[in-house]
Amino acid sequence: MFIGQDITRVDALDKVLGTAAFAHDLKKNTMLFACVVRSSRPHAMIRKIDTSAALALDGVVKVLSHKDIPGENLFGAIKKDQPFLAEGRVRFKGEAILVVVGVTEEIARKASGLVDIEYEDLEYISDPFLSMRSPTLIQDGGNLLSHRKVIKGDAGKGFESSYVIVENTYSTTWIDHAYMETEAGIGYTDERGHIVVASSTQNIHYKMKEIARLLAIPPEQVRVVQATTGGGFGGKLDVTVEGYIALAVYHTKRPVVMRYTREESFLGQTKRHPLYIEYKTGAEKDGSLTAVEVNIIGDTGPYISYGETVCLRAAVHATGPYEVPNVLVNSRMFYTNNPVSGAMRGFGVPQLALAHESQLDEIAQRIGMDPLDIRMKNALKRGSLTATSQVLNHSAGLLETLKGIEPFWRARRKQGPGSGFGLGCMYYGIGNTGISNPSSCYLTFTPEGRVEMHSGVCDIGQGSDTVLLQILCDALGMEEMGIDLVRGDTDTSLDAGSTSASRQTYISGMAVCDAAQKMREYLEGQGYYSGKPLKDICREAAEKGLPVFNGHFDPPTTAPDPETSQGAPYATYAFATHMTEVHVDEVTGVCKAVKVHAAHDVGRAINVSNVKGQIYGGVAMGVGLALMEEFVPGKTESFDNYYLPTSMDMPEVEAIVVEDPEPTGPFGAKGVGEPALIPQAAAIVNAIKDATGVRMRRLPCDIERLKLALEKNKIE
Amino acid sequence: MKTISFVLNGKKTSIEVDDNETLLGALRERLGITSVKEGCGIGECGTCTVLVDDEPHYSCLTLASKANGRDIKTVEYLSSSGVLHPLQEAFIKSGAVQCGYCTPGMLLCAYSLLLKNADPDARDIKEAISGNLCRCTGYIQIEEAIKNAAEICKCDR
Ligand code: FES
Ligand code: FES
Repeated sequence: MFIGQDITRVDALDKVLGTAAFAHDLKKNTMLFACVVRSSRPHAMIRKIDTSAALALDGVVKVLSHKDIPGENLFGAIKKDQPFLAEGRVRFKGEAILVVVGVTEEIARKASGLVDIEYEDLEYISDPFLSMRSPTLIQDGGNLLSHRKVIKGDAGKGFESSYVIVENTYSTTWIDHAYMETEAGIGYTDERGHIVVASSTQNIHYKMKEIARLLAIPPEQVRVVQATTGGGFGGKLDVTVEGYIALAVYHTKRPVVMRYTREESFLGQTKRHPLYIEYKTGAEKDGSLTAVEVNIIGDTGPYISYGETVCLRAAVHATGPYEVPNVLVNSRMFYTNNPVSGAMRGFGVPQLALAHESQLDEIAQRIGMDPLDIRMKNALKRGSLTATSQVLNHSAGLLETLKGIEPFWRARRKQGPGSGFGLGCMYYGIGNTGISNPSSCYLTFTPEGRVEMHSGVCDIGQGSDTVLLQILCDALGMEEMGIDLVRGDTDTSLDAGSTSASRQTYISGMAVCDAAQKMREYLEGQGYYSGKPLKDICREAAEKGLPVFNGHFDPPTTAPDPETSQGAPYATYAFATHMTEVHVDEVTGVCKAVKVHAAHDVGRAINVSNVKGQIYGGVAMGVGLALMEEFVPGKTESFDNYYLPTSMDMPEVEAIVVEDPEPTGPFGAKGVGEPALIPQAAAIVNAIKDATGVRMRRLPCDIERLKLALEKNKIE
Repeated sequence: MKTISFVLNGKKTSIEVDDNETLLGALRERLGITSVKEGCGIGECGTCTVLVDDEPHYSCLTLASKANGRDIKTVEYLSSSGVLHPLQEAFIKSGAVQCGYCTPGMLLCAYSLLLKNADPDARDIKEAISGNLCRCTGYIQIEEAIKNAAEICKCDR
């Protein structure tokens, strides 16, 4: 049995030895260094570009512009709308304009500073409210990127019959992924003449296709390899360095390396969407929710990236994990000239959790109910209807997570002034929203008699390689980990889709099970299970060519109705409850998260240590989201003014693993990567209210904001 | 350019460096020690941590010339006897490694801590790694690993 065991991660040894080759560490003889020249303006026409001084610098090999792109100068995960290199107009500060290639990093960077660009400024659309009114169009189709609605029942009627109604607005800001390894990669042409790019990435097959379109060559002539990747969290889903590297290799015919500085990473890469959320909640006297109406307005920046995805996911998760008979959600994303907002751990759901969890606490307070009791009363459970009227037929362990927290909640005692406790719950649909998002893999043998798993799944540090191997061992009924892993290379694997949406354990895990089932049948026929050694089976088979077993899984979902979003957008959901104790210093405004109990229904924990690692890391990110992280466009460029939680900021965390097995998942597993973060900020904000009486509706509640709010509260 | 000599992971080493070259650059580019990572380049993240006379330093802020005559340790030192150091074992066993980009720096801070304090409490451990950012783990399994390794090191004495 490998499932449920704390199997040592397959990548850990190289990482503690310091030998793991991250994208930053890759080198080749005669390699060149490339860097990007970026816009210094948020919105402008480019009037003139003078590259003569840069080109005159000794050691500069090429300066590439959009004119040097042989294929299509547009990329995008959902729709192709973002230029690799700007053509005549820039739409955010940090947008890429040129690629400078030099013989060393120093020369390339120096040359990029010598490029002279003349701009003619256009109106800077600095927020979505300006965007919706301004005659200045950021994109030709207008400034509204996307409008999604969720309509269930009749919200108006629901409010009419409500005993209590609570209405508030909430807002969140830009968050940077801040993975410790910035975007980086290397490219070269191999002996077949194919373009090879190895990079820090979350999705190799997608990037292969983007490079092929950029260079107008067949995807079969592009190979993308995942280097050891120093974190992703959604920020390495979009094309980062890969396109520029490929373009530079194409033109110079030499190996090219690229590494973003931290400043570039802040400037050039996507962010978490700032959302403005108007939220109205109605309930009966006994705490049963009657209606929810939500109006979400998001700032998506000038290009789509994952803006539509976040718009829809935020909408369908807007009620939180509760049964609400009447729901009306309007979710809109507007283009602005701020940084491109894209995918980040949770896709809009952590922002919504802030709102629905704050609302629920206020309702509870108004009717004199305990915050845990009101959550138990309304919790989604097996047989419940979600906001999109999906019947939860299978794994739905929210109540179990609440029960896991209950003893700690009931026993809580405030530790003097400034001490408080808060709850946060969440549910999260695993995989992409209402669209096909398959994963494939294949299995074969080595002539020496080992099973070989070919996986296109990008392990970005969360541990999917190990988890997939555990699944495969058990699916094959193996007693030892006799499996070779061939991974992260488009030449040797099938498309497993992105490492995002907490989908790899569930979806790729099922693809592995599918392939394993076929291999198992074969092994059965060969007598493996009645004792014939694998070595002998493989030796005999090798003469005819070793068999290959493909595995595939696409979670069953239905497309959301375009008007009401009703349907079954996800095959399964994860559930969680966090309880957080804070201590607020009412004089300084410093809030410290002291202790967290985090209960997660993961279906089945394939690797408990990994699950806990995700929960702890999620809590850390939630602490950052709640209390300190804020990217300010035009200002933030380093960790000097972007604060990440350190060891001193971390609360003690007790992880409680709940297993309500999901029959459609591998050995019952679902996912946990994003759920770990989602309810944490909400729980902190509720705890601050409990501690101080002050309700913070805007994130982050950093020292200045909290201090101000506390002072205002005293005066009132 | 000038020549500097120092002890690197127990071996005498001499290299030529530029006047304004950082120790991070010299280790990575001239000596091929890529376990020393760059996360920010301005002394804010700790991924570039090395030990100078057994004290943690941000090598991105340290001039290479300052290494002259000093003892420099990178994570390679910990397993230079051919077996994993108890800290490395404990990092693996406790799940302290996710993406691993912060890992070499964390290990070196922990090693330095245990040299000075064989019996660190939770607070000591938190403080020892407080200058090193990790975006993945929330530090908890790293702290557990250091605690566990301290126990093992104590027994070994
Ligand atoms: S790279 Fe030296 S502290 Fe970040
Ligand atoms: S393990 Fe990823 S930064 Fe620490």
